[in-house]
Amino acid sequence: MRKKTFAAAALLAAATLTLSACGNGDDDTSPVAVVSGGSGSGKAATVLDQPFAKPDLVLTDTHGKKYDLRKETKGHPTLVYFGYTHCPDICPTTMSNIAVAKKALPKAEQDDLRVVFVTTDPGRDTPAELGKWLKGIDPQFIGLTGDFGKVQAGARALHIAVEPTTKDKNGKLVSMHGTQVIAFSPKTDAGYVLYGELATVDVYTKDLPKLVEGAKP
Amino acid sequence: MRRSAVLTAGALAGAVALTGCSGSGAESGTDKAELAVSSSYMPQPVSADMAAGFLTITNEGAAEDTLTSVTSDVAGQVTMHSTVGGAMAEKSSFSIPAHGRLVFRSGGNHLMFEELKRAPKQGQTVAVKLTFATSGPLTVEMPVKSATYNPTTGH
Repeated sequence: MRKKTFAAAALLAAATLTLSACGNGDDDTSPVAVVSGGSGSGKAATVLDQPFAKPDLVLTDTHGKKYDLRKETKGHPTLVYFGYTHCPDICPTTMSNIAVAKKALPKAEQDDLRVVFVTTDPGRDTPAELGKWLKGIDPQFIGLTGDFGKVQAGARALHIAVEPTTKDKNGKLVSMHGTQVIAFSPKTDAGYVLYGELATVDVYTKDLPKLVEGAKP
Repeated sequence: MRRSAVLTAGALAGAVALTGCSGSGAESGTDKAELAVSSSYMPQPVSADMAAGFLTITNEGAAEDTLTSVTSDVAGQVTMHSTVGGAMAEKSSFSIPAHGRLVFRSGGNHLMFEELKRAPKQGQTVAVKLTFATSGPLTVEMPVKSATYNPTTGH
């Protein structure tokens, strides 16, 4: 079926070619089939009309201590992301982008900002593993691990869907990351801006000075 | 499957020859895949044992081909993945359509370098060998970029 469509398209292209032929031999008008998984939504930041309440999430930090998200980040500009360390692409890129952008802030604002990475793969991401990984990105970043059910509920409160780590048919562990970073305001403690996977260093560098004040980017 | 593609290409070539002005239709007469690799890079990995890699494979030819395996001198294993909504799925092959391209880019399809033998650093290159179902293998010297490199902005 697909082949037929392709053949028809090719014939059509050939017909077009012959009609306009004689002279311009270069057929740079040939259709290019793009095979890729990129999401087409070009916008990196979305300001929410209806902000999210900060999830009531109590987990374990990279020092093995209890960490109450609401209590610890109250009154601080806070970025929250759900990911896992055995993730080659989006998770390290997202956290590295934020880390680089953060360095452009004045020292006091850097210290005020809370960047919280919540693992979706607590089985592999122990406090020690998570700590080692985050230290390579930014030692100030906070890593949280613990019961997956709690993590999933926290993510769901922010409309982020994550599923537990599973084994694929080759017996390899497959985990899932969230596709958004949520920025919480230091004034209201509500999550009011979403950043998608397309958010670059430049986007965060431009927006962080606003976010640390709780202003709209 | 393959045969029908060849037949189609043959019919196409015939059509061009019949209507062609000087038989210069030969440039579209090839019935093979013609592969080239561009835009390859590896973000400097955060993890000591895992890295991602991205590249584009363009097929100028009139036949499709399939990327069947990837190997590298820095990794014990290189696997190919697609990403859908935050979940990645390992795939054993990727098709490169005729007159089309296969894109590995951040957030979408990606190569995963596992069991790293050394930590790739920004400024280095990593040798990557791509093996195809039909075409001969291609070797790419993949540059290692910063952890935050964005191919759109180039930094």
